Amino acid sequence: MNTATQTIDAIHFTPPALSVRTPRIRRIAKAEWTKLRTLPSTWRTVVMAFVISVALGAILCVSQVQQWSKMTAGQRQTFDPTACSLFGIVFVGAVLIAALGVRAMTSEYVTGMIRSTFAATPNRRWVLAAKAGIIAVFVFPVALLTSVISFEVGQRIFTGKHLAVSFAHPGVLQAVVFCALAVTLVAVMGVGLGGLIRHTAAATTTLVLVIVGGVTLGQLLPAGLRQYVPGTALQAAITVNHSAGLLRPGTAILVLGIYAAIALAGASIRMSQGDA
Amino acid sequence: MIEANHLTKRYGKTVAVDEVSFTVRPGQVTGFLGPNGAGKSTTMRMILGLDAPTSGEVRVDGKPYRQLVDPLRSVGALLDAKAIVGGRSAANHLKWLADSNGIARRRVTEVLDIVGLSEVAGKRVGTFSLGMNQRLGIAGALLGDPQTVMFDEPINGLDPEGILWIRNLMKSLASQGRTVFLSSHLMSEMAQTADHLIVIGRGRIIADAGTDEFINRHTASSVRVRAVEQADLAEALTRRGALIECGSDGTMIVTGMDSANIGVAARSHDITLVELAPLGSSLEEAYFDLTKDQTDYHAVQLVGATKGA
Repeated sequence: MNTATQTIDAIHFTPPALSVRTPRIRRIAKAEWTKLRTLPSTWRTVVMAFVISVALGAILCVSQVQQWSKMTAGQRQTFDPTACSLFGIVFVGAVLIAALGVRAMTSEYVTGMIRSTFAATPNRRWVLAAKAGIIAVFVFPVALLTSVISFEVGQRIFTGKHLAVSFAHPGVLQAVVFCALAVTLVAVMGVGLGGLIRHTAAATTTLVLVIVGGVTLGQLLPAGLRQYVPGTALQAAITVNHSAGLLRPGTAILVLGIYAAIALAGASIRMSQGDA
Repeated sequence: MIEANHLTKRYGKTVAVDEVSFTVRPGQVTGFLGPNGAGKSTTMRMILGLDAPTSGEVRVDGKPYRQLVDPLRSVGALLDAKAIVGGRSAANHLKWLADSNGIARRRVTEVLDIVGLSEVAGKRVGTFSLGMNQRLGIAGALLGDPQTVMFDEPINGLDPEGILWIRNLMKSLASQGRTVFLSSHLMSEMAQTADHLIVIGRGRIIADAGTDEFINRHTASSVRVRAVEQADLAEALTRRGALIECGSDGTMIVTGMDSANIGVAARSHDITLVELAPLGSSLEEAYFDLTKDQTDYHAVQLVGATKGA
C-alpha cells in the first residue's frame, strides 16, 4: 500500500536529469561496455583464460626443454622459442577469451533480453558493431598482457638451455603483438558466430571446431589451402622463424580478419532480417 | 499515442494479426484484451519495431518506432519480465538501458525507488521472484520518462498487493496525460483498471470501446420481479415495451427495462413490489461470449461427466 501511494509523486522528476548529450554510436558502445563489465562471468573468464594460457605455455616450454637432447639438428634449427611460449594463449586462451564474444551475443538471445536491446536501439547493425567493437577493445589489452607474460615465463624456462630470446630480437615484438591481435580477431569472430547461431553451447562448439578442429581437418586439404585454415593462420601469426607451409604473419592476421568479417557479415544479415 | 493501421502479421499460413486498426490515446488506460494466442504480444512486438508487419503499419507519436531518436524517452515497454540476463544486478541492468539512450545514471536510482526495489538494487536479477522481475521491468519502462508506456500481461504472477500497486501506477501514469497500453487475458482485471478496451480474438479486433460503454452494451440486463398484483404489473410493463418471461417460482424476468423504471411503473399503478432484483449477465460472461469463437484452444466438455458428478 505504501509503495502504491508513493508512486504518484515519485514519478515526477526533473527532465534535465535525463539529458546526457553524447553521439548515438557512443551511447550504444557505452551500453555494451556496461553490459560486458557488469557480468561477473566476464571477469572470471578473463582470469581463467590468463591463468590457463600462461600455465599451458609454461608446460609446453618445459616439455620442449626436456626433449631438446632428442631433437635432430634440423628441428633445433627451426625451433621458435617465441611461438612455443605463445601456444598456450593462441590455442586454448584464444578459445576461452573468444567465448566472451560468443556470450555477449548468445546470452541475450537465449534469455530474450535481445528484445530490450533492440527496443532501446532499433538499429540492429549498430548493436552488432558496438558489441564487436567493445569486445575488441576489451580483449586486446587482456590478450596483450597474457601474451607478454606467457612470453616472459617461457623465456625464463628457456634460459637454462640458452634458447631464450628477448624483445630485442627481430620479429619477437611483432609476434607478441600479433598474438594479441589474433586472439582479438577470434573474439570478434565469436561475436559473429553468436549472432548467427544464437545458442551458447552450439556457437562455442562451432568456434572450437573452427579453431582447433580446423587444424586437424586441414591436414586433409591440399598444402596450398591448408595454410588458410583459421587454426593454422593463428599459428602462423605468432611465428618468428618463418617455416614453409605457413602464411607470413601479416598475411595470417589479414586472413583472420577476413574470417571475423565474414562471421560479422553473416550475423548482420541474419539479425537485420526477420523478427527479434 | 499509438496508431495501428491495417496491421497484419502472418507466419506462413497462420495469420497472427489480421488487418488490425486502432488508436491508443493519451490520458487514459487502454486495456488490450484477448485470450491467449489472440495476437496481443505479436501486436506489441510490432509496435516496438521488433517484428516486421507483413502489411500495414503502426506508429508511435506519429512515427514508426524504428525512426524514434532514443526510443526509451518516448516509449517504455515491458514485454517479458523473465527475458533478462540473470548474472547482472538490478541496478546494472537499468544502467546499460540508461546508457543506451543517453539517460543520466541518477535516473536509475529514481526508478528503483518508484518500483520499490531500492533495497535489492545490488542483488543479482537471477535471484528475483517473478513479482520482483515485473517491478524491475516496469522500472526499465519508466527510465526514459516516456510519454507512452506499454505492458504485456503486467499482473501475471503478482500477489494481490502487487496487482493493486500496478493498477494504481497505471492510473496515475494516465492521469499525468501519458498513453498507457496494457494487455491482459483477464476481463475482470481490465474492467477495474482500464478506461478503454480493445478486445482482440484470433488476430481481429472484436470490440473497441470505452469500458463503461462496453459493459453496457455487452451485459444484457434483466430484472427479476415479484409483485402482489403480479398480473397487473405484467400488463403495465408490457405496455411500456418490456419483455416478460414467467419464472417457475412465481417471479417474472423482465428484460428491456431497468429496475428503476419498473419501480416507477409499479408505483404509478399502485402495485406493491415484493421483489426487485437486477440480474445482468456478468462482464466475465460477456467477454467469454464475445471471444468463445475466437479462442484457439477449448477444453472439451466430457459427455456424461456432469451426470457422474
